[in-house]
Amino acid sequence: MHKVAPGAGAFYAGAGFGSVMNLYLPIAEMSVNVFAFLGMGGAVGFLSGMFGVGGGFLMTPLLIFSGIPAAIAVGTEAAQILASSVSGAIAQWRRNNVDVKLGTVLLSGGIVGAAAGVEAVKLLRQIGQFDLFVSIAYVTFLGIIGVLMLIESAKAMRQARHGKVMSMRRPGQHNWVHKMPLRMRFHRSKLYISIIPPFAIGMLVGFLGAIMGVGGGFIMVPAMIYLLRVPTNVVVGTSLFQIVFVTGATTILHAAQNKSVDVTLALLLMIGGVVGAQLGAAAGQKLKGEQLRFLLAGLVLLVCVRIGWGLVTAPSDEYSISDAIGSH
Amino acid sequence: MKINWRVLRGFLGAVLIIVAAALLIGVEIAEAQRRPGPEPPVRSPAVAPKQPVRSAPVAQAETRPPQPVPAEAGPRETVQADVSSRSVSVTSSFTGTEIVVFGAVDHSRQTTAESGLYDVVIVLEGTPTRLVARRKSNVAGIWINTHSITFESVPSYYAILSTRPLDDITNPLVLRENDIGFEYVRMTPVQGWETGVTTAELQEFAEAVVRLKQKDGLYVQEEYGVVFIGRSLFRASVNLPANVPVGPLDVRVYLFRDGQIISTYTARVRLEREGLELLLHNFAFNQPLLYGIFTVTIAVGAGLVASAAFKRRQ
Repeated sequence: MHKVAPGAGAFYAGAGFGSVMNLYLPIAEMSVNVFAFLGMGGAVGFLSGMFGVGGGFLMTPLLIFSGIPAAIAVGTEAAQILASSVSGAIAQWRRNNVDVKLGTVLLSGGIVGAAAGVEAVKLLRQIGQFDLFVSIAYVTFLGIIGVLMLIESAKAMRQARHGKVMSMRRPGQHNWVHKMPLRMRFHRSKLYISIIPPFAIGMLVGFLGAIMGVGGGFIMVPAMIYLLRVPTNVVVGTSLFQIVFVTGATTILHAAQNKSVDVTLALLLMIGGVVGAQLGAAAGQKLKGEQLRFLLAGLVLLVCVRIGWGLVTAPSDEYSISDAIGSH
Repeated sequence: MKINWRVLRGFLGAVLIIVAAALLIGVEIAEAQRRPGPEPPVRSPAVAPKQPVRSAPVAQAETRPPQPVPAEAGPRETVQADVSSRSVSVTSSFTGTEIVVFGAVDHSRQTTAESGLYDVVIVLEGTPTRLVARRKSNVAGIWINTHSITFESVPSYYAILSTRPLDDITNPLVLRENDIGFEYVRMTPVQGWETGVTTAELQEFAEAVVRLKQKDGLYVQEEYGVVFIGRSLFRASVNLPANVPVGPLDVRVYLFRDGQIISTYTARVRLEREGLELLLHNFAFNQPLLYGIFTVTIAVGAGLVASAAFKRRQ
């Protein structure tokens, strides 16, 4: 992702607001406007509350566009996602919507993936390709998910108009996932499947989460529904359950390996995000599921196009500078 | 189980609130108390160890009886200078600061401030840091960093203030010799930069570093930034931006007459983290693992507080 220089200035030491409104971030080492970042957290929190998503895929690009170094945006976002997932996971836990056994397999894979992801961030930063890699990962995954979601929600909306109800899960159907060795019984999900696929999915999501600064629910949820055939009522709860542990591990690993977690920035985003999510959740109840998914798909594609645009258009300056990392 | 949750939630909530309050309020109070405090001792020679100890305070130059103006045989002119604050604390509310550099020419032969007999050039230079410059090129439609040069040391901050444009004051030779001016900023590429990069390209990279640093407000030049306010007194002010890298700033003051340096003086400004800023930064860099766990605790606490608040509402 490429920094947008002209607009970025507004988020720094705003001359008009006075020093009380600005906060110097200890890790990012820059002065930012408190209200700009509280507002950013609030806006993304509102959308994530409305759509029931983590919001990392919106927050991380926003942070980068506003001038926060990509690595710090990614590391700090892990902490914010943790905060917003904890409340969601508790709500799901109370409703008994968490398959702890399946969640544990997923999060074991997730932590392994996160460790690899954090190491990859370190390596990519050293060779100066981290920003590029983040951008490509965003364009690829947001593009795929956005298009799939758009098609699915459009279909569902058409069917809803004709009065049909579409079932997300087709029980009894078996695919290659169910034929692998190391099978285990997951009572809560009513599944008897190999632990290799969930472990691998967890690993992939953990890896991408650590690199992209996302919780990875947008990959985890479809993978659980379509690949593992997990009943929809435990999908969200189990996904949130594993996100809590994986983002917790990711935060600690980013802090230890890359020193790229800014606790002050994270706190600002958390406060804004918590308030925004409450308002967003209330707003979301007024919309139908398929309409929400259609809008979310549009939003996902918008972010995808914006980041892709930065990759293909000529930068205002071909040169860039950064501190040398790793070889002090 | 339920009671445990409540206890845990209460505890973590308290931790979160304390931290948030400390972040947002405590530092402001500490700042407010510190601000009107006494200025650091202005003229203690020990602070600038590089300097020859000079006893004559600045004011003395002004009170000295005026000398006959074009007396060529008089004592040689010397320059003395200092900065308004020798230490700047970078706290959570740091948004940049103004540094005033002031000084005096001893044995000044100027009749008035406007005579223009002397020129003063002031250079403020930050700590040399290791830096990578990268260049993007279009590879299959995508802009990718393809070339890079690592510079072993590049001043993190560089400001030049002068009474007139540098080219009018002296010749490039003198400027180069003393590292005055953006063209002469000392930048050393790491060993082995020659592989795959020509000297002309190295030059382009060096120019790009200066250009980008200027864009960030870290390299600044003010051609009329130094003003004489008397026969011998001069002053200049420079605004350090909020993104100025923490570390010492060396201040070099050059006194020119007829294009030649006749006297120099150096001082130092220390930019240091303080308060919560220092605490968090040191915590993150000295105990990264614990810091990570601390951040996770805060995040979980925030989530639990939000969850409790949400439940109450329902």
